[in-house]
Amino acid sequence: MATRKKSLLKVIILGDSSVGKTSLMNQYVSKRFSNQYKATIGADFCTKEVVVDDRVVTMQIWDTAGQERFQSLGVAFYRGADCCVLVYDVTSPNSFKNLDSWRDEFLIQASPRDPEHFPFVVLGNKVDMDNRQVSTRRAQQWCQSKNDIPYFETSAKEGINVELAFQTIAKNALAQEAEVELYNEFPDQIRLNADRNNRPGNADNCQC
Amino acid sequence: MSEVNWDPPTASSNSTNSTIYFDAENEADSDQAEVSCSTTVTDNFNGHETTKNLTADDDGTHFMPMASVCKTMTATTLTDEEASVDKPQSATTASSSRPLAKALDLHESVDTEVNIMSHDPTWKGQKKHIFILSEAGKPIYSLHGNEDKLAILFGIIQALVSFVENSQDVITSIKARGIQFVFMVKSNLIFVAASRTHLSVAQLQMQLNDAHNQIISTLTYSQLTKIFNQRKNFDLRRLLEGSERLINNLLLNDSSGKKISNNVFAFLTNSIRILPLQSSVRTSISQAIKENCSKIKNLVFAILLAQNRLVSLVQMKKYSIHPADLRLIVNLIECSESFKPSENWTPICLPKFDMNGYLHAHVSYLEENSPACLLLLSVDRDAFFVLSEAKQAITEKLKRSQCIEAINEAVMQTTRGKQQLNSIGIPELRHFLYKPKSAAQILCSEIVAPYTNLLDFERLESLYCDLLERIRNSKRPLKLILETRSNEVALAWSTEYYELFVVFDPLTQKSSVTKDVDKLIKWIEKEYDTYFIRTHPTF
Repeated sequence: MATRKKSLLKVIILGDSSVGKTSLMNQYVSKRFSNQYKATIGADFCTKEVVVDDRVVTMQIWDTAGQERFQSLGVAFYRGADCCVLVYDVTSPNSFKNLDSWRDEFLIQASPRDPEHFPFVVLGNKVDMDNRQVSTRRAQQWCQSKNDIPYFETSAKEGINVELAFQTIAKNALAQEAEVELYNEFPDQIRLNADRNNRPGNADNCQC
Repeated sequence: MSEVNWDPPTASSNSTNSTIYFDAENEADSDQAEVSCSTTVTDNFNGHETTKNLTADDDGTHFMPMASVCKTMTATTLTDEEASVDKPQSATTASSSRPLAKALDLHESVDTEVNIMSHDPTWKGQKKHIFILSEAGKPIYSLHGNEDKLAILFGIIQALVSFVENSQDVITSIKARGIQFVFMVKSNLIFVAASRTHLSVAQLQMQLNDAHNQIISTLTYSQLTKIFNQRKNFDLRRLLEGSERLINNLLLNDSSGKKISNNVFAFLTNSIRILPLQSSVRTSISQAIKENCSKIKNLVFAILLAQNRLVSLVQMKKYSIHPADLRLIVNLIECSESFKPSENWTPICLPKFDMNGYLHAHVSYLEENSPACLLLLSVDRDAFFVLSEAKQAITEKLKRSQCIEAINEAVMQTTRGKQQLNSIGIPELRHFLYKPKSAAQILCSEIVAPYTNLLDFERLESLYCDLLERIRNSKRPLKLILETRSNEVALAWSTEYYELFVVFDPLTQKSSVTKDVDKLIKWIEKEYDTYFIRTHPTF
């Protein structure tokens, strides 16, 4: 079934500060990288159109503030996300350890209907650096233990795996969407009873 | 001017990038300091709404610049010295809002990095934008342009709404750079108007409500809430596909849609227009409908429309139709050419009648090429054939009694114009609106020169918007306004029985206004039964 329907996916990027969330987004969207570090305050938005299995999909990417003191929008960001990207820095064991709490935080705030199967993706960023501290095996183990979250090792700087990672993100999020039944059931017939229409609530004095 | 961290997405043409963060060292942008933000707090215990003006003190000292509004948005959890929103120093972080101000700016030229609107060159030139999004920030509808390309803007709107929501408050409006932004959160949806028209906040809210009602009318409230309860990320466009034209038509009924029509005044007064007919003719039409429908179970309303005007309405006992619902029906007929050649059976939810269920409408024109469209609305979804028979019988009856001809004639008359105003015999009278307080019906005189010109019509519309706003102001309603403006003399008068708005040519003297208004009222009283329907018969 070749649907040409418009699709929009809300993608949220989470992770400790300075793991490279904004850089990954910039690399993906505009193929650019800057060594300069600027903390994100509040949020940052990007969109990119991608084609997944013959469908044009608009990705609305919400980059969040990693530093706690800059997070101010709370639930707003998480609400109704189609996919959540968890990012850690392979040179920072702490950022890896914190993946657990980022994942929990997301599941609590967003409370998706089926948390077990919510599409997450984990990115181990900065693989271009030579002081790597978190091994691929360890990261993979963690991902497996969380219902087989797809795992990618990326470099926002070199553009390694970034495209591939986001393509997977779009694909997995779309797969979830496809499962939704079409909500086309009819509501029950309106029951007529004479009192109903004369509720005091209808007091705006304007009948035709 | 300060630099903003809004990186231009140079490499990729199909991507856009917007930032609501900023460089803390940046200087404030002084040109944004003209914003007030008022919010409404709903008291759940008594249902009253109290409006609290967050920022507006009379001396103006508390007017927060747009920048500060946004600054609070992005910086509530900053440490104390960073979050000193009320202090002027907070302006150090003011450039946070530049992208927002720019993104929403309909007027100013925008730097290349803001390619939100670059997908459609006409986007920026619009006088009014309406956006609808889900509470997740997903685009559902944009009056102009492609909503997919505006995904960033929708994200920003959602962030604004949620930020205020986090403090148990509701954002209602922002005024910035001559643009009025109005927000409404309802049924898991966010509605936003951005307008450079003369519509007031309350009037823009009415338009947002119309858009909301139209969505409910398509989906029902129960279905809408069920969907979002189950899936907050649902892309509602999947279910609204095909009904955008209905929302468009509702929202473009003012001059921002380049239309010169009295429809906007029906909207502004929340009333409907009546096709002028001799009362004896109207009575025989209602009789014909009544006779052929009174035995049909579950039939709630029979509505005959011609040219966006009500010809006749017959209702089930103890039920009445709300003008907002009737306007949705008029809108549906106006936008659906496809109803013309055939009999149609369509579900329609009337939100004021029952927002959780569908009525089923048998819709058909009385005859080929007839302007009169009959709707028979039942709660029974299997009633098509019964109603189809009834329609045949009604048409036969109306033919025999020459009512169809009378309707045709009346429609011809209204399109010809000028007649009505001439017959009143007040040469300096240019236009008037008359609305009895006992009914949601309005009489608008035909639009004649100079208002047949769009620019002049815009001025007329603006004049009425202004008069209506002052006469109907909930805090300080006025009873009588007489104003001499450069292009016209305007009168607004609210009595116990009616509201009257009259526009005279600019040289009219006050003394003659009094006489003219007397004459006009006498004329309306004499012709009342032609232009209004006193009571609607019941089945």
